[in-house]
Amino acid sequence: MLVLGIESSAHTFGVGVVGAGRVMSNEKAMFPISDKGLIPSKVAETHVKNAPTVVQAALDAAGVRLSEVEGIGYTRGPGLGPCLQVGELTAKSLAQKLAVPIAQVNHGVAHIEVTRLLTKMRDPLALYVSGGNSQILKATAEPFRHYAILGETFDIGVGNMFDNFARGIGLNPAWGSTVGKMASGGNYVKLPYTVKGMDFAFTGLLTNAIKLAATERKEDLCYSIQETAFSMLCEATERAMFLTKSTELCVCGGVAQSRRLKEMLKSIANEHRIKFGACADEYNADNGAMIAVVAERMLKKGMGSMVSECGIEQRYRVDRAVIV
Amino acid sequence: MLLKERTKKDYRISELDESIRSSRTKTEARILYGVAKAGVNAPRLVAVTQFGIYMTEVEGNLLRDIAMKPSYFPGIGRQLALMHNANIVHGDFTPANIISSGGSFYIIDFGLAEFENGEEEKAIDLLLMKRSIDRRCYQKFVAGYSKHAKDAKGVLLRLEEVEKRGRYQSRTLS
Repeated sequence: MLVLGIESSAHTFGVGVVGAGRVMSNEKAMFPISDKGLIPSKVAETHVKNAPTVVQAALDAAGVRLSEVEGIGYTRGPGLGPCLQVGELTAKSLAQKLAVPIAQVNHGVAHIEVTRLLTKMRDPLALYVSGGNSQILKATAEPFRHYAILGETFDIGVGNMFDNFARGIGLNPAWGSTVGKMASGGNYVKLPYTVKGMDFAFTGLLTNAIKLAATERKEDLCYSIQETAFSMLCEATERAMFLTKSTELCVCGGVAQSRRLKEMLKSIANEHRIKFGACADEYNADNGAMIAVVAERMLKKGMGSMVSECGIEQRYRVDRAVIV
Repeated sequence: MLLKERTKKDYRISELDESIRSSRTKTEARILYGVAKAGVNAPRLVAVTQFGIYMTEVEGNLLRDIAMKPSYFPGIGRQLALMHNANIVHGDFTPANIISSGGSFYIIDFGLAEFENGEEEKAIDLLLMKRSIDRRCYQKFVAGYSKHAKDAKGVLLRLEEVEKRGRYQSRTLS
């Protein structure tokens, strides 16, 4: 089945084409970075401008015509309302025009599922880390097979913390990678470390690190905040691994692009002799291909919706979406 | 006797690693002494080194690895209540850290425990257990806890708040 997937939950408008469980294209346009962060309505405006071009680019890259598309998928949530609406509208108008069904996909599920597909894992423990999310998840048994949240952040997502920290000490945030780049060559400064079982919290670490900017070198703080935050995530993940006796571990989401985080998780996996995997960066950053992957499976199972049934849900929590 | 040594974790840098290991060893030793005084079923402290604690060994099976019956849980709730009454929170209170031994239940691994009187931290102990067991077991657990804990009411109210705080948690679902 040839399915086109649309992702627009935050700063990225992405479109991917999938056929028979294989990713055929993955195109995207991102809202330009600034020191002000994301203003949802402005981001949505940019998405509206980019939508037609990105859809066409994804079709061209896959080498298919629009009329050949047999189903549409889009991100129902979670995400920023105005941004989600652009994806929903694009999906609905394409589906209307083609007279094909629509699948309403959960963003978090899509991140894990594309990783599972591309790393060929069966039932991994997943660390999902991005700007807005930081969760440790594992699939439950039938019926209502879904990703249960074993641990999560009590306040903000780890990516959001890095961006806020970068702004707080006067650096230009560039999609979270600023702190990572500054971190190399720094020295360790002691910062708060908050893990409660398999949950964690980042705001204490954030405020403390910003305060210390008055006396410490920026490089040292970047190094220390990254090491501390990733160590917290690793500790919680390792604990979840013991509890669930998982034999596979994967990391996904925007922050999974960090080489340092992958290196640390791989070290845990090696120590316990379990499999570790992560996708290429283009599938960890928000993208349309991951939505198409899940949408194709949903549509094959008859879980499509009609245009009038579609909607968005800013707080569409990952554990409420069934996995197919 | 058992030696619990905090081993080096290769994934984290040595400064952070050593600071976490030594401060947790120190706290854990104090906690073991504290839970013994509070009458909690737990390993007894024998001696402490920089990264290691010698303690008595508890023989038995992890609760995680046996069939969990609701009838086990009032007693487990009481154990947690005794700890909380002594202002100690466990920090990782799951079936993976409870040993069933000769009809009683022993709490182990105080590696994340702290001296803490806050409802927040106490509520998180309950939350971790709630997430790890089924509803019938949890009801018995809460019953046992409420019967013996000094401020059970406040902790349970706080638990409701903590649960609502999760990312994208629907505010209308209970």
